[in-house]
Amino acid sequence: MSTELKLPDLGENIESGTVVSILVKIGDRINKEQPIIELETEKAVLEVPADVSGVVEKILVKEGGDVKVGQALLVVAEETETAAKESKPVKEEKIKKDEPEEPGKATKPAEKSAGEETEVEIKIPDLGEGIESGTVANILVAKGDRIEKDQPLIELETEKAVVEIPAETAGTITGILVKAGEQVKIGQPILKISITGEPEKKAKTDKPAPETDKREAGEKKVQKPEQKSVIQPVTTEPVPVAEQKEVSLIPAAAAPSVRRFAREIGVDINEVKGTGPNNRISIDDVKDHSKKLHQQRTAGAAAPGTFPAVPLPDFSKWGETKREPMSRVREKTATHLSAAWSTVPHVTQFDKADITEMEKLRKQFASKTDAAGGKLTMTAILLKICAAALRVFPQFNASVDMQNKEIVFKKYINIGIAVDTDSGLLVPVIRDADKKNIVDLSVELTQIAQRARDRKLSLEEMQGGNFTISNLGGIGGTAFTPIVNAPEAAILGVSRSRFEPVYINGKFEPRLLLPLSLSYDHRVIDGADGARFIRWVVEAIEQPFKIVLEG
Amino acid sequence: MSEPSKKLVVLGAGPGGYAAAFLAADMGMDVTVIDPEVNPGGVCLYRGCIPSKALLHVAKLLSETEEAKNWGIEYQKPKIDIDKLRTWKTSVVDRLTGGLGQLTRQRKINHIRGIARFLDNKTLEITDLDGKKNKVAFENVIIATGSRPVEIPALKLESPKVIDSTGALELNDVPERLLVIGGGYIGLEMGTVYSALGSKVTVVEMTPGLLPGADRDLVRVLEKGLTAKFESILLNTKVVEMKEVKEGIRVRFEGGQPDDKEQIFDKVLMTVGRKPNSENLGLENTNVKINERGFIRVDGQRRTDEPNIFAIGDVAGEPMLAHKASHEGHTAVEAIAGHKSVFEPRAIPAVVFTDPEIAWCGLTETQAREQNRNVQVLRFPWAASGRAMTMDRIDGLTKLLIDPDSERILGMGIAGAGAGELIAEGVVAIEMAANATDLKMSIHPHPTLSETIMETAEMFFGTSTHIYRPKRK
Repeated sequence: MSTELKLPDLGENIESGTVVSILVKIGDRINKEQPIIELETEKAVLEVPADVSGVVEKILVKEGGDVKVGQALLVVAEETETAAKESKPVKEEKIKKDEPEEPGKATKPAEKSAGEETEVEIKIPDLGEGIESGTVANILVAKGDRIEKDQPLIELETEKAVVEIPAETAGTITGILVKAGEQVKIGQPILKISITGEPEKKAKTDKPAPETDKREAGEKKVQKPEQKSVIQPVTTEPVPVAEQKEVSLIPAAAAPSVRRFAREIGVDINEVKGTGPNNRISIDDVKDHSKKLHQQRTAGAAAPGTFPAVPLPDFSKWGETKREPMSRVREKTATHLSAAWSTVPHVTQFDKADITEMEKLRKQFASKTDAAGGKLTMTAILLKICAAALRVFPQFNASVDMQNKEIVFKKYINIGIAVDTDSGLLVPVIRDADKKNIVDLSVELTQIAQRARDRKLSLEEMQGGNFTISNLGGIGGTAFTPIVNAPEAAILGVSRSRFEPVYINGKFEPRLLLPLSLSYDHRVIDGADGARFIRWVVEAIEQPFKIVLEG
Repeated sequence: MSEPSKKLVVLGAGPGGYAAAFLAADMGMDVTVIDPEVNPGGVCLYRGCIPSKALLHVAKLLSETEEAKNWGIEYQKPKIDIDKLRTWKTSVVDRLTGGLGQLTRQRKINHIRGIARFLDNKTLEITDLDGKKNKVAFENVIIATGSRPVEIPALKLESPKVIDSTGALELNDVPERLLVIGGGYIGLEMGTVYSALGSKVTVVEMTPGLLPGADRDLVRVLEKGLTAKFESILLNTKVVEMKEVKEGIRVRFEGGQPDDKEQIFDKVLMTVGRKPNSENLGLENTNVKINERGFIRVDGQRRTDEPNIFAIGDVAGEPMLAHKASHEGHTAVEAIAGHKSVFEPRAIPAVVFTDPEIAWCGLTETQAREQNRNVQVLRFPWAASGRAMTMDRIDGLTKLLIDPDSERILGMGIAGAGAGELIAEGVVAIEMAANATDLKMSIHPHPTLSETIMETAEMFFGTSTHIYRPKRK
C-alpha cells in the first residue's frame, strides 16, 4: 500500500518552511524516524523524519520549494501492504454497495452511447456449496420497476437457506420469467432487464446533452470528498456525497430521557459531544457540557482567556473583615483591565523630560487659557505633543485584530485621559486632538474632567480612544507601569516632576525633570519603536518647535 | 349564566384528550373535559381502532381455520352470527370506554357532555345534549377534537348502501359484493374484515399502489396476501359515478384495467381519508390559526397562536394516529404546567392491521430516497425464520435502515404476522439511538419473529446466521 508522507506538525506555531535539501532518492529504502528532508523555518533548520518505513516511490517537493504543515512530501510503498489489504473486507464491500455514488464510476457509462437500450437476462448465479437449484420463495420486484445494482430481486429457498438474488446491474424490469413457488436451477434466467445508458438521469432532466449532466454529476461528487480530506487527510478513498449530507441529518445520539434532561437545563443536545460508542450522549455528557458552558460564561465575564477566579480563603480567620458590593465602575474596571492585562503583552519604557523651559512657558501663557476657561496643565500640553507623536508613529495609533490577523490603523486621533473620580477611574476621550490647539484642548480637558467627576459622562464620551494619558504627577511617585487600555496600543504614564541635578556643560545644574512611563502592546509595537516614541515625546517637550517641524 | 373559571378545559375525549386530561389531573390541575359521548374514548374507541381490531381478530381466526387445511385440520364452513359478533364487538367498546369513565371519575375530572365553541380566548360556550347553552371561562384549553372521514361531494349518495368506516364498523350485514373506495389502511383493514366474513371485496385505488407513502417492498408483501383474499384490486382507477339501482349500487370506473367499466356492488365503503375537525369551534374568535388543509397551527409544545390554547392529535396535523395524539397530550399538559417539554419523537410507529400486518417507524426507504440520503437497507426474508415457518407465515419481511457511518438504526419496517407488536422494538432502538451492534448483541428469544430484527442487524456486518449472501466479486 502506498502512503503519502506528510509534513508533520512542527509545533511552535510553525506553519510552513522551505526545503533546504532532500535526503532521500526514489527507490531508497527508508526506516521510520529516518530524516528525509531538511527544512528551514522562521526559527531554525530542522530535519523531518519519516513516520513510516518503506520504499520511496515518488518525491513530491523540490529543494528551495515551500511546504506547509500537512502537505505531502513523499509517496512511500509501505511494507505491510498485503496485511493491510486483507484487514479491510468490510469497508470494501460497503464501497461496492455505494457504487452508484462513487465518483470514479461517474465516467463509466460514457463508453456506452447514452440512450442506447439493451435487454439482458438475469440468471441465478452460482451459489456455491453444491447448491444446484432452489424454489422461488418471493419475487421482490414487479415488471416496470426501476432497480438499482445489488437490489434484491428474488428470494430463493434452497435446501440450506434462503438467499436473496441481487441485481447485477441497474435497469428497468421488462419481464419476470419465474413464478413464486417455481423450481429454478443455477444459471436459469429469472428476469429480463432493460439497461439504458444513464437512464435515470436522462429521465429526470430536460437537458438534451448527456455530456453536461455527467460532468455536473461528476463535479458534485468530487467536491465533497475534497472537503472531507481536509478533516481526515489520511483517507484516500473517495467518500460518497450523500454520506456527507447525512451526518448533519442524523439526530443527536441521545435517549429521550437524556434529551429531556438537556432541554430542562437549557443545553442544546445537538451541541453536546457524546463519549459513548458512536458518540452516544449520556446524562453525564450533558452535565459536562453544561459545566463547560458555565465555566466559559463566568470566565468570559472576568476576562476572556484567563483562568477562573481562585477561591478565596476565609479571611475572618485572621481578623475582622467587611464585604461591600463592587460598584459598577469598579466591576467594569476589574473586568476590562484583567482582559487587557491578559491579552496584551506589555512592555513599559521609562524616560525623563527636562521641563525647566516648558514650565516657564506654561506659566507665561497660563493667562491665555485661563481667559478661555481652561487651565494650561502639563496634561493639556502632553495631549498636543502625543497627538503629534501618534501621527509620526502610526503603529501607536492602531489596534490588533488577532481574529483576522490584521492591524487596524486609525486615521483619526482620539486620546483618552484617565481621571480619578470618587467613584473610581474614568477615561473620557478627547476627539481629534491633533486638530485642536492647546488652548482648545485645555478648555475641553477642564470641562470633560469636571463632567467625569460629576459622573455626567455619557458612555459615548468614554469610547473610541486610540491612546491614553494617565497623569499621576499631582499625587506623586517617580514612575509607574500603566496598563494599556486595550484595544488601544499604548498608554503614557506621567509622574511627579522634580528638580534633579543634571550634568550640563561640565557642571551639575538643577533641572526640572518629568518622569514618563510608556506602556505599549508588544504585538504591534517593537521595543525600538517604543524607545523612539518616548524619545520623540521627550524632545518635543524640551524643544516644542519639533511639533511644528515634524508633527 | 356563567360558571366559575376552569383551570384546564380539554375539548374532546379521544386518546389525545383523555390522556391529556388524566395527566393534568394527576399533576393536580383542575380539569374539565367536554365531549358528547357518555364516556371518554373518541373515534378510536367508539368507531375506530378498537372495534376494528376486535373484528380483525375474528377475521384472522377465520382465515387461519381456512389455512389449517394445509396442516391436516379441516373445519366445517363457519356459521357466522352477525348479531352476536356485533354484540361482542360492542361489549369490548363498552368495557373499555366504561373503564375510562371510571378513571375519569376517580381522578375527579369534570366531564361535561356536549360540544363547545370559543367566544374569545378566555371563554367557551358549551351546548349540552339538550341544546342548552352555558358559558365557561378557562385559563387553558387543549383542543383535541380529532378528525372525521372525508366525503367526495361528486360521489355523494344518500343511501344506506354507501357507508363510511363508521357504518362499516356497525356491521349491519355482510354484503355479497363490497366495493372499498380508497386503498389506504382503513379501507384495507375493513376490506380484510368483510372478506373474512364472506364478502367478495373489490378495492379501488386512484394511485398506482396500495397504501400510498409506505415502502413498496412492505406493501408488496401485503398486496400478495390481499390478492388472494379479495375479488380484485383496481389500481390507477377512479370511481366516476355511483347510482343506486334495485340490485345495489352501480359504479362506473375510469382508468386502470377493471374487467367491467360498470359493476354493481351490494355496498360501497368510502375510505378516502380523514380531515381535521377544526370547523365550528369558533376559532375565528381567537388568534388560533388553521392551515390550508384545516390543521391547527401549533409549535413544538403544541401551543397554538393563542398562548393559552393548545391543540393535539388529528386536529393538529399528520400523522393522524392515536398514539401520537396521546403523546402530544402529555407534552401540552407539561407545557401548561411550566415544564420545558417539547414534542420531538424520533420515531412514530405506523401499523396497518391487515393480514399480513405492515408496520414501520423512523426513516422509511421512500423518505431516504426523496432526501437522497445514503443509508444501508437490509432485508431479512421471513422464509429464513424458523418461527415464521412454524406458523406457515414465511411471507414476511423485516428490514432496517442503517446509517453506514455511525451504524445508527434510522428506520425499521416489517411486513408479516404480528408486525404491529414487533415494531415497538424499532421505536425503542431509534429513540435510544441504538446502533446495529446493539441490536445484534441483544439476545432475542428463540424461536420468535423478533429474532428477524437481530438477524437483520447482523446482515449489516455481512453475516447473518440464517441468510447466505453470495459474495460478489
